Amino acid sequence: MTRALDASALRPAAPPPIEAVGLGWTYAGRSRPALEGLTFRLKPGRVLLVLGPSGSGKSTLARALAGLVPHVLAGQMRGSLRIGELDVATTAARILGERVGLVFQDPDSQIVMSRVDDEVAFGMENRGWPRHKMQARVPEALGQVGLAGFEPRRTATLSGGEKQRLTIADVLSARPSVLVFDEPTANLDPPGMFETLAQLADLARRREHTMVIIEHRLEAALPLADDVLLLDDEGRQIAFSPASSIDRQAVALLERSGAWVPGAWLDGDPPADDSGPRAHPQAARARDEDVLLRATDLTLEYPAEEGTARRALDAVSLEVRRGERVAIVGPNGAGKSSLLMVLCGLRRPTSGSIGLRTIAGGGGRAEPLRDPSRLAPREIASRAGLVFQDPELGFVARSARDEITATERATARRPDGEERHSEADGVLTRFGLGHLAGQDPFQLSQGEQRRLSLAALVLRPPAVLLLDEPTFGLDRRGTEAVMRLLEDLRAEGQAQLLATHDPRLLPFCDRVLALDRGRVVFDGPPERFLADPPYSPAAPWRLPAAPALAPASALALAAPGSALASAPPAALR
Amino acid sequence: MSLQTSPLEAVRPAFLTRVTPVARLVAGMAWLVTAILTLDPIVPLRLAIVAVIALALWSGLPLRRIPRRLAPLGFAIVSLTVFSILLGASNSDRSLVALIEVGPIRITGAAVSAGLSIGLRVVVIGLTTLLVFGPSDPTRMADSLVQQWHAPDRFAYGTLGALRLAPQMADDWAAISAARRLRGIGSDGPASRARDLADRLLVMLVAAIRGAERLALAMDARGFDSGLRRSHFRELRVGWRDWLTIGFALALAIAALALPR
Repeated sequence: MTRALDASALRPAAPPPIEAVGLGWTYAGRSRPALEGLTFRLKPGRVLLVLGPSGSGKSTLARALAGLVPHVLAGQMRGSLRIGELDVATTAARILGERVGLVFQDPDSQIVMSRVDDEVAFGMENRGWPRHKMQARVPEALGQVGLAGFEPRRTATLSGGEKQRLTIADVLSARPSVLVFDEPTANLDPPGMFETLAQLADLARRREHTMVIIEHRLEAALPLADDVLLLDDEGRQIAFSPASSIDRQAVALLERSGAWVPGAWLDGDPPADDSGPRAHPQAARARDEDVLLRATDLTLEYPAEEGTARRALDAVSLEVRRGERVAIVGPNGAGKSSLLMVLCGLRRPTSGSIGLRTIAGGGGRAEPLRDPSRLAPREIASRAGLVFQDPELGFVARSARDEITATERATARRPDGEERHSEADGVLTRFGLGHLAGQDPFQLSQGEQRRLSLAALVLRPPAVLLLDEPTFGLDRRGTEAVMRLLEDLRAEGQAQLLATHDPRLLPFCDRVLALDRGRVVFDGPPERFLADPPYSPAAPWRLPAAPALAPASALALAAPGSALASAPPAALR
Repeated sequence: MSLQTSPLEAVRPAFLTRVTPVARLVAGMAWLVTAILTLDPIVPLRLAIVAVIALALWSGLPLRRIPRRLAPLGFAIVSLTVFSILLGASNSDRSLVALIEVGPIRITGAAVSAGLSIGLRVVVIGLTTLLVFGPSDPTRMADSLVQQWHAPDRFAYGTLGALRLAPQMADDWAAISAARRLRGIGSDGPASRARDLADRLLVMLVAAIRGAERLALAMDARGFDSGLRRSHFRELRVGWRDWLTIGFALALAIAALALPR
C-alpha cells in the first residue's frame, strides 16, 4: 500500500480521550441490560481492544461511542460516556458522528452507493461539505486505504477485503478523530481479513486517532492494542488494563464467560491438534459401500453474459466416506458455495456426475449411489442436508419444536401427536434448547439459532451433511457447542462437509479440500494443508499462533452424546 | 451464496448517458402516456421502432445482453397478446368478418388489432424503462431527483439504499427455497403450495427487514438525515442535451399520434 500524499492534509483533529463512568444501557423492551457498570479511561491516541463473548455488549459499546446509542436506538442509559469534552448523552448524534467513525462487520450492509467515489463522498455530503473539498478529499481517503484510482469502480465488483477497506475510507473521509471497528473482518475470507488487519495496523501506527477495536481474530489484533477491555456474558466489565499486563484472574474470568481468549494469555501448551477424533475407525477402512458421496469431474459453468462462460467448478472430483469430516476452504469466489449447491442437487452441474446414498443399516447391503437431481425432496432429505451460513433462511416452522419435526411431518405423513412432541423435546433438550421449545426460531439468539438448525436434522439425519460456515459469528463457547453436536451426529456414521474461512476448525476435520477458481488445488490431511497452504500469499491460511479452542480430545469425549446429553443447557449457551 | 448477475447498464459513453436522468424521465413519460392513450396497434408500433433505434444509437447499453434480460417480459407480451386475441369481445360480434373460424374458435380482425395493441404497449413500456433507467446508475437518478426536483433526501437516497439490497433478496429467496426442498418440504396441491409460498415470503420479509435495519444504522452512523443541509458531490445541471432529448421525444410522440395510419 503506497501513500504519496500530503500528510498535513490528512491529519484529523487531535485524538480525544474516551472516558466511561458507570456506563450502562438497556435496550427498550428488554429486561436484561446490554451493558452494565463500565468504568475506564482510554488516553488520547491509544488503541483499545474489546474482548468478550456473544451478548457481552461489545457492539452496544461501539454504537454508544458513535452516538447511535442513545440517540438513534431506543433504550435506557445509565452513567456517563465522554469523548473528549463531549458527553454522549447530551451531544447531538450529528456532532458525535463528525468526531467518531464507525466501521461495521459486514461491508455489504453498509455500502450505500454503487460507485466507489460516490460512496466515499456520502458521509461528507451528509455533513454539507462544499463540493471542491469533497473532490479533493475523496482521492486522499482512498489513497489512505490503498485504493488509489478506484474512484470509477463499481462497489459490487470489489473483493471482500477491498470493500471493507472502502468502508474504512468512507469513515476516514469525514476526518473523525475516533475510529471504532465492530468485528471488521468477521465477514471476510482469509486474504480479506489480512488486508483489513494490515489496514488497522497502519492506522494504529499513525497515532492520529483514538481507536476502539472489537475483533475475534485475536492473534492478529492483540499486537495492535495498547489497552484491553474485558467484558463478561452479562455485559459487565471484567477488567480494563494495558494489553501487556493483563492479570491471570481476569483471563480466567474471560475464558469462563465463553469468549475467544488469545493463546498467548493461556497457560501451557496449545491444544494438541493431532490427538483428536480424526482417525475415525469407520473412515479408515476403504470399503466401497462406505462411500456416501461420490462426485466425478464436476464442472459448473454460469451462462455467459458477455464473451466466455465463467467456470464456477472445473473438473472437481471427490469421495466422502461414512463418518468422515471434510473441510472445504478457498478464497471468496473459489467455488465453495457452488460445490455445496451441486452436491446436494440444488444446482445441476454442466457436466460430471454425483452419487449419494443413505447410511446402510446394520449389516444391510448398501443401496446404489443415486443422482440427487433425480430424487424427490423426501428422498434427498435422507441423503443430503444443508445448513446455511444464515440459519434464519433455513427455518421452516413457527416454533422450535415444529422445526425439529418438520421433515418428519412432510415425509413420513404420520399424524401429529404427543409421541412426536416428546421426541422433539428430547432433541431440543439434548441441544440445550429444551426451555425454548415453544419459541419462534426467529426470536432466538445467534448461537441458539445455529444449534436449532443442526437439531432440525437429528430425527432424520441425512447421510451427508453440508455446512456453510457453521461457526460464523460464534464465540468460543458457541463454536465448541456446534463442534460437539457435529461430533455427535458423526458418531452415527454421518459424513460432513464444511465450508469455512476459520483455520481453527481444520484440526477437527479428517481432510481439507482446497479450491481456487473452481479447481481442487489440495486434497489431504489438515496438518499438511496448514504447513504448506496452496495459496499465494500463504500466510492468511495458516493457523494463528495458538487456537483457543477446546482440545480435540475434549470434543471426542463428548462424541456419542454422553457428555453432551448430561450437560446442563447452560453449558451450551 | 451469490447468484447475482451484473446490472444491465451503459457500458460505453453515449448521448443518453450524458442526459440528466430527470430529463430522460420526462421524455419517457411522454411516450408512455402516448402509448397508453391510443387503442390501435400502429402508434405503439411506431414508438417501439423508434425506441429500438434510440437504444441502439444513443443508450450505450450492451445490446447483446438486452434480449436475455427482456425474456421474462417477452413471455408476458406473448401471453397477453395471445389471450387478448383469443378472448377479445369483438370475436362474438357476428357483424364483423371472422379472419379464422375453426369450431368454437372465431377470431376477428378487431380482436387481433386490440391484442397487438396491448402487447405492443407492454413492449413500449419495457423499452422506455430501459431508455430512462439504463444509461446511468441509480445513484444519478437519486441525485437528479433531489437536485432538480427537490425530492426529499430521505426518500431518494433511502430508496437507493433499498435498491442496493434487491440482489441480496434474490439470493435469500434462492436459499430459502433450497432449504425447504432439502428438508423434504415439497408442496403438492394448490393449497399447500399457497401456504408454502406464504411461509417463504415471511422468512424473506424478516431477512429483508434485518438487512434494511443494518443499512439504515450504517447510514445514520455516517450522518445521513441528521438535520444538516446535504451538499452534493456531483453537480447535475440541466443543459442543451436535456432540452433536446425532451423536445425530440415529444416531437416523436406527436408524430406517432398524428401521422396517417
